[in-house]
Amino acid sequence: MGAPRARAKLTSPAVLIAAVRRGGLAQAIALFALAIVLPFVFPSGAFVNFLADAGAFVLLALGLNIVIGFAGLLDLGYAAFFAIGSYAFAMLASPQFGIHLPFWVLLFLASGIAALFGILLGAPTLRLRGDYLAIVTLGFGEIVPQTFLNLSQWTGGPNGIGSLDQPTIGAYKFGFNALPYYLMILALIALAVWVANNLRHSRLGRAWMAIREDELAAAHMGINTTATKLAAFAMGASFSGLAGCAYAAKLQLVSPDQFGFNVSVGLISMLVLGGMGNVPGVILGAIVISSLDRYILPQGTNFFHSIGMTGVDLTGSRFLIYGLILVMMMLFRPEGLLPSRQRKAELRGAAGDPGVAGQEAALYTEAVK
Amino acid sequence: MDVLLQQLVNGLSLGGIYALIALGYTMVYGIIELINFAHGDVYALGTFFSLLILSLLGVTGIVTGPMLVVVVLVTILGAMLLCGITGVLIERLAYRRLRNAPRLAPLITAIGMSFILQNLMQYWHGPSPVPFPDVFPNPTFAAGAVAIQMKQIIVILLAVVMMFALQQFVYRTRLGKAMRATAQDKDAAQLMGIDINTTIAVTFLIGSALAGAAGFVSGVYYGSAWAFNGFSAGLKAFTAAVLGGIGNLAGAMLGGFLIGLIEAMTTQLISDQWSNVVVFSVLVLVLIFRPSGLLGESLPTKV
Amino acid sequence: MRLSKFTRVAGALALAAALAACSNTTTTTTSSSGGGAAGGTIKIGVDLPVSGADASIGIPTQNGAVLAVEEAAKNGFAGGKFKLDTSLLDDAVQGKHDPAAGAQNVKTFIADSSVLAMVGPFNSNVAKSEIPLTNDAGLVQISPSNTNDGLTVGDDAKKLRTAHPDTNAYFRVCTRDSRQGAALAQFSQKLGFKKVFIIDDNETYGKGLADVYEASIKAQGNTVLGHEHVTANQQDFKALLTKVKSQNPDAVFFGGTTSTGGGLVRRQMGDVGIGNTPFVGGDGISDDEFIKVAGTMANGTYYSFAAPEASKLPSAQSFIAAYKARFKSDVGPYSANSYTAAKIEIAAIEKAIADAGGKMPTRADVLKNVAATKDFDSPIGKVGFDANGDTTAPTLTLKKIAGGKAIFVDQITLKS
Repeated sequence: MGAPRARAKLTSPAVLIAAVRRGGLAQAIALFALAIVLPFVFPSGAFVNFLADAGAFVLLALGLNIVIGFAGLLDLGYAAFFAIGSYAFAMLASPQFGIHLPFWVLLFLASGIAALFGILLGAPTLRLRGDYLAIVTLGFGEIVPQTFLNLSQWTGGPNGIGSLDQPTIGAYKFGFNALPYYLMILALIALAVWVANNLRHSRLGRAWMAIREDELAAAHMGINTTATKLAAFAMGASFSGLAGCAYAAKLQLVSPDQFGFNVSVGLISMLVLGGMGNVPGVILGAIVISSLDRYILPQGTNFFHSIGMTGVDLTGSRFLIYGLILVMMMLFRPEGLLPSRQRKAELRGAAGDPGVAGQEAALYTEAVK
Repeated sequence: MDVLLQQLVNGLSLGGIYALIALGYTMVYGIIELINFAHGDVYALGTFFSLLILSLLGVTGIVTGPMLVVVVLVTILGAMLLCGITGVLIERLAYRRLRNAPRLAPLITAIGMSFILQNLMQYWHGPSPVPFPDVFPNPTFAAGAVAIQMKQIIVILLAVVMMFALQQFVYRTRLGKAMRATAQDKDAAQLMGIDINTTIAVTFLIGSALAGAAGFVSGVYYGSAWAFNGFSAGLKAFTAAVLGGIGNLAGAMLGGFLIGLIEAMTTQLISDQWSNVVVFSVLVLVLIFRPSGLLGESLPTKV
Repeated sequence: MRLSKFTRVAGALALAAALAACSNTTTTTTSSSGGGAAGGTIKIGVDLPVSGADASIGIPTQNGAVLAVEEAAKNGFAGGKFKLDTSLLDDAVQGKHDPAAGAQNVKTFIADSSVLAMVGPFNSNVAKSEIPLTNDAGLVQISPSNTNDGLTVGDDAKKLRTAHPDTNAYFRVCTRDSRQGAALAQFSQKLGFKKVFIIDDNETYGKGLADVYEASIKAQGNTVLGHEHVTANQQDFKALLTKVKSQNPDAVFFGGTTSTGGGLVRRQMGDVGIGNTPFVGGDGISDDEFIKVAGTMANGTYYSFAAPEASKLPSAQSFIAAYKARFKSDVGPYSANSYTAAKIEIAAIEKAIADAGGKMPTRADVLKNVAATKDFDSPIGKVGFDANGDTTAPTLTLKKIAGGKAIFVDQITLKS
């Protein structure tokens, strides 16, 4: 029962695994390490490319999670912020205006610009109730990409802006290999998760939870609902600025048809599937939907074609699948695939059926660590 | 000046279709406070149902004489019935369970339903526009330098007639009274012995039927049916409903015509590519400055 | 069985990884092709939008390339030393061509060492994301239908080739917008159109063509009354066409395709009262779909098509017959183009195999042979490439729709 024995215990594999399973930092590090190692285990160029793209969407989903999951503001036009972040980067790091700011500066500059627009576009919604807020954000989701398309002198119109600058670290240029982009996006995700977790446990996070539960009561308790809501929009949008930069730099192109309603709905599907408000859930949802969209369906279709069933087209059913996911999840498992353990225990109980009250509470799930 | 008057006619015709769709939106929202995203796609489905009935009747072009009346009645009533049933089914399958859930759930479900419907229509007829027979002879009437087509008159008339018929129904019949009661206070209505399940189902039936009528008229007016029509038209129709005052039938019609006019005028005076932006900006502005709409009552927020 | 969060997230990653392993990509991340071994499979990658709204034009295009490969395989490709196959990928996401999906597909081709050449993409904006990749990897790429000028000429083209500025791996068998637009303007003048109103669909191809047409019309000294853009999925064009009517044009030009509004615009011109005004467009409205959607209004439409008239070329006739027999449907507007593109690549690969003494050639060899193509016999006439990757001496056919059918009007062979 001396020190040496205790030390031995700490480092034994069983103990490590138990620590990881318990959750928290150990788990996050383990998953992170797994994600870093993945492209080296499967070095296929196409797979790493997919990982990088999926990572960008994970980042976007995390941003949307702050707006919808934490603060309860139903934003149906989040793709608008993705567009703003991407175009901000494209305009300041390409031959379009001849401005070439360094990538790492732009990463945070674009994030800031997106946050600013988050405040601008969020401001009109401050006095609105749930569905009206949703519709206004939907309206913005339509207005922003169309505006980028129309102002062709500055935005390149339907051609978008191409030949974007690639990031460099010292003398190393990122080039066309997806690997450095993927690693950079992983770092951004780690940053985002850290920020999101810290925010949730802060006063601001609790204020968000309060206005999500009952805005009127929160206001009467002294919370400045205006500032709180604007903060949610700003923080959420800032993530999309990061994602927009990274994604545009990798694709080397920004064009208005990348930011339609489908993207916004796709992101919402990720949150619904994974578990709104719950960071690991959101990440899971983003990975599943991205895999479905960019890997499983196209590869599945190719598989059917290769065995001669050329009439099969799974990718055309994409909408149907998204729609079914949304409807089924809302009807049968509104808390998502990864709700927090505590909430689930509260809601499911012995009967297993969440019931009306359970559904109500389940939608406002948060992971309790 | 002549051009502007002509655009007025164009705008009112376009607006008539929006008005028909908006009526359905406003009814459903009034009664269960749900923005039924799938409603726009029911409208698109209405055009396809009309196409189906017309092909069963063997109509491929213009129909003349008394046969025209028969064909039109059969097709429009058939489309309305089929769409109405679709609406009731959607409500039963997807929305009923979520009636007491917070707003987020049915809204997301509605988006999901919209996607499902779009995809199903795509499977049925493909992703490109499909030609739709003219059905009506289409003489053009000249009023000065303005030319009004028969089809345009039909669209506008139908919207107005439907609205009046609907108003009569809602204010003169028992079922209509039940709808108004349920819209005012669901629980109290239930306590008064109103079967709210049936009432809500009827609301969806009528709303979707109106969308079906809009679908038929749209097929005739544009000469095409398209799986992707629904989303954009639906969104603009919702804008119209909000503009006029959500829950208010006359408001929905007024809003529909206004939005149609705004679109036509924007195209004429600015350009076509900005018309959507202007319409959605109107939506945003109305919701910020007058969320109760033009004809709606300003409801104080009760604590 | 309740899975912990950890297991679930790790499981999702593992699932994605397993799928990666199952797909037929190989393990290299950098581009390297066989080089040296004898025997094996050689593939031609095909990246086109074959789902959603673009499918009606994408699938027939894909079929053209598939036909070429099947014919070659049947007729003893490379003396039977290698097996020839295709790798078919779709770049449409949610029903629309997507540059990111195209880039992903090209990376799949690059990673697969048996892919020595590729056909595609269909759309110019997808090409913008693909050209830097194929340039970097040295994988030869022939598009059947990209028309945007900036893909092969000018500053834009240079910026797409930064990895290897002296090598060009991108070619196309169709005519550039600047040539097609200029030809259409020439043609418009011949027909006596002095005042035109231009509409486009605000997409890469449509706007590109319309802009060139506008510049050419102005250069002739004729008038452009207006230039408007329509929105995606727009159905009501009456307000726009009323505006057009008020300007009294001699003709209305549409830059775009049937599915982005060409058919509906023409149809509604009749409703608004300018049904007798001629309608002019590019190869985007050259399909049967246009005639179907526009109905009786289709008559009075003129369009250009970037290939010689099939009925005047025997090689075109035999191609059409073979296509019909194989796919039991009519050819699409670009089927002959993709067939030709694939045939050029197959010939280049065969020559490279012969030069390598029967061994697996490198992508660089194949690229060299494609670049040297001259007077290649094909259903679209004799094809050769210039230094930029464009066709030399392209032929443009002009057609008119009358009585519900497309009638040949004129053929122009441009000097390049």
